[in-house]
Amino acid sequence: MQQIILTVNGEKVEALAEPRTHLGDFLREQQRLTGTHLGCEHGVCGACTVLIDGQPARSCISYAVACEGREVRTIEGFGDDAVMNELRAAFNKYHALQCGFCTPGMLIAARDLVLRVPDADEKRIRVEMSGNLCRCTGYMGIVRAVKSVIDARRAVNDPQIEAAPAAAPAAFTPFQAAAPAAPPAVPPTVPPTAAASAAPAPAAPAAAPAAKKPGTVIEDEFTVDHPLARVWEIFADMPAVAACLPGAEISEHTPTSLKGRITTKFGPMRAAFAGTAALERDEAVKSGAIRGNGTDSLSGSRARGDISYRLHDAGGGRTRVTVAIDYSLQGPLAQFSRGGLVKEFVKKMVADFAANLNARLGAPAGSAAAAAPAAQVDAGGFFWTWLWGRIKSLFGAK
Amino acid sequence: MKAAAFEYVRPADLAGAVKALAGMPGEAKPLGGGQSLGPMLNLRLARPKLLVDVSRLESMRAIEDRGSLWRIGGAVTHSAIEDASLPGGEPLSSVARGIAYRTIRNRGTIGGSLAHADPAADWPLALPALGAEVVIAGPGGERRVTAATFMHGAFATALAEDELVVAVEVPKLSAGARWGYWKFCRKTGEFPEASAAVLLDAQRKVARLWVGALNGAPQPMEALAADLAQRGGLAASEDAVSRALERVAPDLDPAQRRLHITAVRRAVQQATE
Repeated sequence: MQQIILTVNGEKVEALAEPRTHLGDFLREQQRLTGTHLGCEHGVCGACTVLIDGQPARSCISYAVACEGREVRTIEGFGDDAVMNELRAAFNKYHALQCGFCTPGMLIAARDLVLRVPDADEKRIRVEMSGNLCRCTGYMGIVRAVKSVIDARRAVNDPQIEAAPAAAPAAFTPFQAAAPAAPPAVPPTVPPTAAASAAPAPAAPAAAPAAKKPGTVIEDEFTVDHPLARVWEIFADMPAVAACLPGAEISEHTPTSLKGRITTKFGPMRAAFAGTAALERDEAVKSGAIRGNGTDSLSGSRARGDISYRLHDAGGGRTRVTVAIDYSLQGPLAQFSRGGLVKEFVKKMVADFAANLNARLGAPAGSAAAAAPAAQVDAGGFFWTWLWGRIKSLFGAK
Repeated sequence: MKAAAFEYVRPADLAGAVKALAGMPGEAKPLGGGQSLGPMLNLRLARPKLLVDVSRLESMRAIEDRGSLWRIGGAVTHSAIEDASLPGGEPLSSVARGIAYRTIRNRGTIGGSLAHADPAADWPLALPALGAEVVIAGPGGERRVTAATFMHGAFATALAEDELVVAVEVPKLSAGARWGYWKFCRKTGEFPEASAAVLLDAQRKVARLWVGALNGAPQPMEALAADLAQRGGLAASEDAVSRALERVAPDLDPAQRRLHITAVRRAVQQATE
């Protein structure tokens, strides 16, 4: 608990708050100001909007301790505020609320808009109010209500308000651009891993996934500098395979199943999926599958992933491995799984698995493969833990 | 939807913030406006042991005119940039205006957004296109990296665990410079599905074209940008953009490709018409 002093609706409040208590909870539970509504509690819906130092903000993702010394104003604090009175009347007149849950947030956002953009037209009103969701979908009434207040104020206060005509930009004149001082140092989308020659050709299909479940499938391939028989052998050695997957630990295993955990870290996100997997191997065609399910107990996210692989003799004592990864994720982590991110992570994961595998098998002396993985491991483990993490944590729930 | 327990400190100065971060490597996170970190905390996807609030550090809250460039403190909010008058830095205000919603912009910070490094975020796209530099502070003092090299991938940056973004420095545009910026968002304020930024500054001989909302960090299209400078919008034919995109983002699915190509062409159109 930390002692905080702040102003709420004009009154000084001295209180104890846990750092993790967000402002919305602080207002509702400790100050009994229940006019601030909590909808999504992760900054999406706008229902919890309050003013902090006069500016609208989402109280669910502002922590009370971070508001120390600030002036907070909730829907209860507008009394006979002129704009708020006009908005209340307009919300009434234009039927701008049905269930009323979004209304406190709508009113506070609308008041800010009326004062900040006094010449807003309907389009601007819609854009400005787009951060407040009405689950009754009563937007027509809300927009009309806000517009009526803006129009009325313009008529009375300042008929001269006109959008300043934008200065016409000068016509574009061609020119010769100076060459960039240095080649772009931006790392390529997929870091090339010395040992894993990412083939430009589409990956050959690996072993077919079993029963089709909803998920996303990514296919990839890599080449290992060792003969097929040796690679086939190590793929049966689950502790060895797990050792090549950053963050993976196996607690129990049999030839056909395993129990374990994958710890992931990705930017600020962390998850530890504990679960089981079934293992399949088809000696005749040198293909296999690892079909797993896991739960991150802390976030309550569930992941499913099937990794199917097939080994091909690439000649010269090398083995080409094709993989198909079919995955899905449900729960809070899925909310951060914009599909575009997935491919990169899976490809990185595959490339790094390949690099680790080569290193473990003993890369030929002098090859870059021998050095590359170790260098990355030394980079602090951060990189490693999120690689495999993302295959689990970004599984799109599609 | 309540965050897991964490400790919270608000150091009085930058040195104190760096020290607090360095004191718990891997367990401490700098907190700006908390508009990206907050949701992750509430969903318990992020569980840092310590949050180091840097949002009130005076040295990081200023917008300064430094002659040839604008220096924007890392803790400056998007809405402060939106509302500022920045001659030669107009794109900063227009980009800020397009970030999420006003409620988010009132608290979210430019340094926080950069450090968070969401591939679809606005600053990681706009700042490289504007040729900005990122000023980073850590236990070893200050260092700088170009915005073009700051972001390494999705949620991965040049920052060490005990470093933070103290400012970005954005070169001013010449009078006749042309800027184009386009993003496709499914809903206003959401993260875009495709985005692009173009800068054509004849006086400084600068031509940059960046594409964002990719699988990883935004990427430059340098050859196409040089061609744009010479030939104007004609250079950004469907085919030319498609080829340039294929080089920097070969993994897009057909729908994403379509959106990205169109975002690039619309940004180019803004900058050249």
